[in-house]
Amino acid sequence: MTISTESMEGGITRVLLDGRLDIQGAAAIDLKMNVLAGSSKFLLIDLRNVSFLGSMGLRSIIIPAQAVRRREGKVALFGPVPMVEEVLKASNIHEIIPIFHDLDAAVAALS
Amino acid sequence: MGKAKMLLNRLQDRIELDSQLTELSRVQPWIEAWADQYGFSEETRFAIHLCVEEALANVVMHGYRNEPGHPIVIRASFSAHNLLFVIEDEAPAFAPVEPTSRGDATPVSVESFEPGGNGIRLLYRFAGSLAYERFADGNRLTIGFPIPTEGVSALI
Repeated sequence: MTISTESMEGGITRVLLDGRLDIQGAAAIDLKMNVLAGSSKFLLIDLRNVSFLGSMGLRSIIIPAQAVRRREGKVALFGPVPMVEEVLKASNIHEIIPIFHDLDAAVAALS
Repeated sequence: MGKAKMLLNRLQDRIELDSQLTELSRVQPWIEAWADQYGFSEETRFAIHLCVEEALANVVMHGYRNEPGHPIVIRASFSAHNLLFVIEDEAPAFAPVEPTSRGDATPVSVESFEPGGNGIRLLYRFAGSLAYERFADGNRLTIGFPIPTEGVSALI
């Protein structure tokens, strides 16, 4: 699992995750995700290249999202593949962090 | 010798792990080999990896409380056109209670959402079948997935 970021308009930080968000993948990104949560107010977590998501990976998304929200920021999830989206919905994550498949809509939600 | 038994003999039918999360990566190629053998779809492979990882993580983190040096055995077996993954440990009793029976409510805010506790929910959602037994010195969790029709012919 790799993690990289790019800056977007409106102060949005796009977090690009690539690989499996299993136990090992979650451990690989936790530190950087928490750093981003402390420094960015608007996070767009790009899941298009995430091929697997387990409960530890969910924590790696939820905990930083909670930190962003405590700072009155916003988080959105973008482009999960169908099985990853099924995990997100089975865990009710979609009811607290919105999921988008359209980039413009995701950016608008964070603006 | 039945074809199923022959296949079991060719593929390693069990893996023994130590109670450390880092050990779980050893299971991935083993699961892929079984999935290849019976032609499981990508969606079912995903579900198998997810369920086995969640079950093993529960044993390590909750059963053995993250203490290394304890045994976990995962076996593959067949029953009525289902591929079963049987996970056995020697931890104190830990029955995976289905979340709805604990009164879990849909979270209403990011702030109130509990980051943990999704593992068992995902197990129940993605497993084809799930059965728990407590025996004298440990736990046995059996996770089943129906073998695709094409794969069933390989058993006959």
